[in-house]
Amino acid sequence: MSPKKTMTLNLTEAEMEALEVMCVEKDMSKTALMRQALRLYQLVNARLKAGEKLFLENEKEKEKKELVVL
Amino acid sequence: MSQPHHIWLQDCATGRSVEALLYERIDPVYAERVDDAWLIHLATAEAQAKARGEKFEAPEHAHWRWHEKVLRSSHLLSCPTLAVECEGQPQGLMLLKTDGHFARHSEQSEKPLVFITYLSTAPWNMPSVAPRPRFRGVGTNLLRAAVEVSLDLEFKGRVGLHSLPNAEPFYERQGMQCLGQDSMLNYYEFSPENAAAFIR
Repeated sequence: MSPKKTMTLNLTEAEMEALEVMCVEKDMSKTALMRQALRLYQLVNARLKAGEKLFLENEKEKEKKELVVL
Repeated sequence: MSQPHHIWLQDCATGRSVEALLYERIDPVYAERVDDAWLIHLATAEAQAKARGEKFEAPEHAHWRWHEKVLRSSHLLSCPTLAVECEGQPQGLMLLKTDGHFARHSEQSEKPLVFITYLSTAPWNMPSVAPRPRFRGVGTNLLRAAVEVSLDLEFKGRVGLHSLPNAEPFYERQGMQCLGQDSMLNYYEFSPENAAAFIR
């Protein structure tokens, strides 16, 4: 696999806690989770830029809400 | 294109190992070159078979156009495209998805996996097209690369794919497990244990 570069990431206590909770839930290291988040964010961003919209749907409540992404 | 890794294929004519290159990210220009080379070879093979009065059976994926596939996804980190090159020619290509796919194996249910969207070896390496295939090991090397991507992402080697019918025996030989059928194609998956045994 491609060689990797190292960086320092500064997180608040709450952000670090959220990251650690997700790492346990997804059975991944912090690095793997952040890399996965970047891939997902890039994909969503590319589709939004192409004019698509992102929705969250609750099938039970028959509710559909647009998710606004930075 | 990324810096390539060195891998080995088998030259079918001599039985010897030959060095090949595995590229991790290919661009649309390279994919277009692949389409051109493979389509020309298929057209020539078909014409030669007809001249000999033999029936020519095109591969199941002869309609795939890599340029279109790579153009749509080459800029996305979640869609790695890998290529095997040997003796200056593209020997195989694979397109992966690293998000949105989850394991179906009962013990791995809902855990993320690397999904092989497309995998193909060059037509001159396929025994069904070429009476004397040139290289052996392209598919195995690409499958190994998919497992390595999965390990790198901490997906524990989990890999899934839908196989074309003629390729099913290949995936079964590598240790992938058939877990049912979706829209006419059988779904195969590597559990972490089977993936570890495969790359050992």
